[in-house]
Amino acid sequence: MQIYLRTTYHVGKHHCLVITVLCILLSLLSGGLSAWAQDDSVFESAKSDSGTETAVPSELQGIFTSGKVPKSIVQLQSLEGQFARVSEAAVACTVSIRIGQSQGCGVIIDGDGTVLTAAHVVMRPGRKATVILSNGRKLEAKTLGLNRNVDAGMLKIDPGQNDGKEWPHATMGTSGKLATGMWCIATGHPSGFDQERGAVTRVGRIARVDRWVLTTDCALIGGDSGGPLFDLSGRLIAIHSRIGNDVEENLHIPIDNYTLSWKRLEAGELWGTLPGFRPVLGVQGNSQKPDAVIEEVRPDSAAMQAGFKAGDTVKVFGERTITDFQSLKKAVSETMPGENVRVRVDREGKPLFLRVVIGRGD
Amino acid sequence: MINSIMRNILKKTPLALVGLMLSAVPQVSSAQFEPLARRDNLMMMKLVRPVAKKIEGAVVQVYSGDRPVALGTVVAEDGFILTKRSELDGDPIRVRLNDGQLLPARVAAVRRSNDLALLRVEGDITLNPAEFTGEIPPVASFVISVGRKSTPIGLGVVGAKPRRITHQGRLGVLLQDDRTGRAMVRGVFAESGAEAAGLKKGDLIVAINGREERSRLGVIETLRGMFPGENVRLTITRSDPASDPTTMDVDAAIRELNVMRESESDARVNGPRNVRLTGFDQVMQHDTVLDPNECGGPLLDTDGNVVGINIARAGRVVSYALPASLILPEMISMLAEARAASR
Repeated sequence: MQIYLRTTYHVGKHHCLVITVLCILLSLLSGGLSAWAQDDSVFESAKSDSGTETAVPSELQGIFTSGKVPKSIVQLQSLEGQFARVSEAAVACTVSIRIGQSQGCGVIIDGDGTVLTAAHVVMRPGRKATVILSNGRKLEAKTLGLNRNVDAGMLKIDPGQNDGKEWPHATMGTSGKLATGMWCIATGHPSGFDQERGAVTRVGRIARVDRWVLTTDCALIGGDSGGPLFDLSGRLIAIHSRIGNDVEENLHIPIDNYTLSWKRLEAGELWGTLPGFRPVLGVQGNSQKPDAVIEEVRPDSAAMQAGFKAGDTVKVFGERTITDFQSLKKAVSETMPGENVRVRVDREGKPLFLRVVIGRGD
Repeated sequence: MINSIMRNILKKTPLALVGLMLSAVPQVSSAQFEPLARRDNLMMMKLVRPVAKKIEGAVVQVYSGDRPVALGTVVAEDGFILTKRSELDGDPIRVRLNDGQLLPARVAAVRRSNDLALLRVEGDITLNPAEFTGEIPPVASFVISVGRKSTPIGLGVVGAKPRRITHQGRLGVLLQDDRTGRAMVRGVFAESGAEAAGLKKGDLIVAINGREERSRLGVIETLRGMFPGENVRLTITRSDPASDPTTMDVDAAIRELNVMRESESDARVNGPRNVRLTGFDQVMQHDTVLDPNECGGPLLDTDGNVVGINIARAGRVVSYALPASLILPEMISMLAEARAASR
C-alpha cells in the first residue's frame, strides 16, 4: 500500500520542494487489503430526511460563529457533545471509494446518492467505482466530472440499490463565510477501509481560509482523500485533498468550488490540472504525422523507465486507442501521476506491451 | 483562474520553505503558520489545566539508560508505577517524581500482551496514585494527556470505538522447508530485523532463544508469539560450498510489518513513532499529537476521570490508549505478583 504519487517524488527534487511540503495527495494505491465483511442487516437511514445538520446549542453560538475557544470546562463539554452529534451523522454518510487500484473517501450529499470526493480519487469520468458504506455494504457507482484545478470530483451511486429509499446524506453548507479559528469535524478512512474500526473522526480548527483551499489541524493521512469536513452545525464545508509534512498542514477543497461548477461536474466534464500534479509521460513526437511515433524519449522520464524507445509507435494507451501524437497527449492528460498504465506499442513491426507509471510535472 | 492558483502557490512558497527548514523545531514553524487557530494551542491547554491538576502527583517521567523514554502512571502509594514496557530497553531504570526527585526503579512485573510494565520505585516514599474509572468516552469526546508536572501535554478527541489491535510483529524472513522439513530462509525483507542481523538466503533456523526448532511451522509459531520491539536469539546453520556448514547465534529485532513496508514519504508524514504500535487487547484511538516518549502516562476525560493510559504513538493521525477497563485487572494481578515476590 502506498500513498498516491509517492513513486515520483524523487524526480527533480529541487523544484518539487513546495509539493513535498504542502501537497501529498491522500488517496491510496491498495495492495492486498483484506476482504471486506458485509453486513446488510442494519443500515440506519433514519437521518436521511434531515441530513447532517445539527442544531447548535445557544451556549455555543458565539464559538460557532467567531471561531473562539470555550471559556469554561462546562462550555468545553457542551462543545464535545456537539462534536459527538455531528460525528455520528457524519459517519453515516462518509463512504469509502474504490476505483481500480486506488482507494479514497467520499460523502453522499443527497438522497439519490450523489457523492462528492477529490478529483484525484475519481481520476476520469465514466469509470466504474465501488462505494462502501460505513457498515461495510458495497455499492456500484459511476464517476462523473472533475475539476482538477482545485481537486474537486463527483460520482453517483447507481440507482436501484436501496429499495427506493433515500441514502443517508450530508447537509450542504457554504465555504464563503468561513473564518480562522472555526471548529470543524473531519471523518474518513485513514490508511484505507477497515471494517472493524469504521470511519475515524477527527476534530480541529480552521487555520487558513482561501477560495481554493482550506487548511486545518484535523490530522489526515493517505486514504482520507475525498472525505468530508463539517462545521459545528453539521454542514458540509469542505472535502479532504492533501497534506504537508507537518501534522497541522491538512488541506481541504472548500465546498463552494463544487457548488459553482455543479452542472459541469454532474455532466461528467474533466478540466484543469492540479498545480504540481500534471501527468507526464516524457516522450516527444510530431502531431502533424498520421501515427503516434515517438521521436525522442526524455532521460529519467517515466517513459524511459518503462522501456519506451525512439521509433516506437503507440497504438493503445490504457483504455484509449491512439491514432496520432495528439490523441496520445490527450490520453496522457487524462491520467494521474503515479497511475500504472498498460501501453501497446509497435516496435519494428511487432506489437509490444509496456507498463508505465505516469510521472509528474509542474 | 489558473493564474490565481499559481499566485497562491507562489504566495505559499516562502512559508513552505520555512516549514521545511525549521522542521526540527515544530513549535516555531507552526507558530509562523497561525498561532491561534489550533485546537491544542496555549489557550486550550490553559483551559484544561484544572482538569489535569485533579491527578496531581500521579505522573512520573521514566528514564531508561539515562534517556527519558516514557511517562509512568502511579498506581499504588507505596511506589508502584505502570508504564510502556517496550521502551525500557536499557539500564539503569529511574523515575523522576512530580516533586523533581530522581529515584532508581526496577521492573516488578510485565504483561507482554498489552506492553505494560509495573515499576517499583526504590526508596521510602508515599505517592499519589491515579484512580481509574471504567467509562470509555464516546467518539469525538476530548481527552487530555497529562505530564509529570500535572499539566496537560496533549489534547485530542476519541476517533473510533474501542477495538482490538492484532500485533504485526515480524522477523522479516520468507521461509521454506529444507529437505528435512526445517526452516530455511528463502528471502529477507528490506528494513527488517532479519536484514539488520545479517540473515541470508539459505540459512537454516535451528533454534530460537535457545530452544531447538525442528520444523518450519514450529519456527513460524514461535515467531508469531514475539511482539514488535522484542529481540530474539536465533541459532542458524549456514552452508558454504567451500567448507563445512557453520552454526552461529545472531540477535534479531522483531519489527512492525507496516513500518517495514512503508515508503519514505509515508514515514515522513507519520513522524516519530514507538517501536511497538500493535498487539493490544483493546485500545481507544485518539488524535492527540504525542511524542513517542510521552506514552505510559494517564489519559483523562474532561471531568478529570482517568479513562486510560497512553500506550502508543502509532502515526500521524493515531495515538492509542489502553482503556481503564483493561488496565484495572492487569494492574491488580501485576501488583499481586510483585507483592508476592517481594514478600
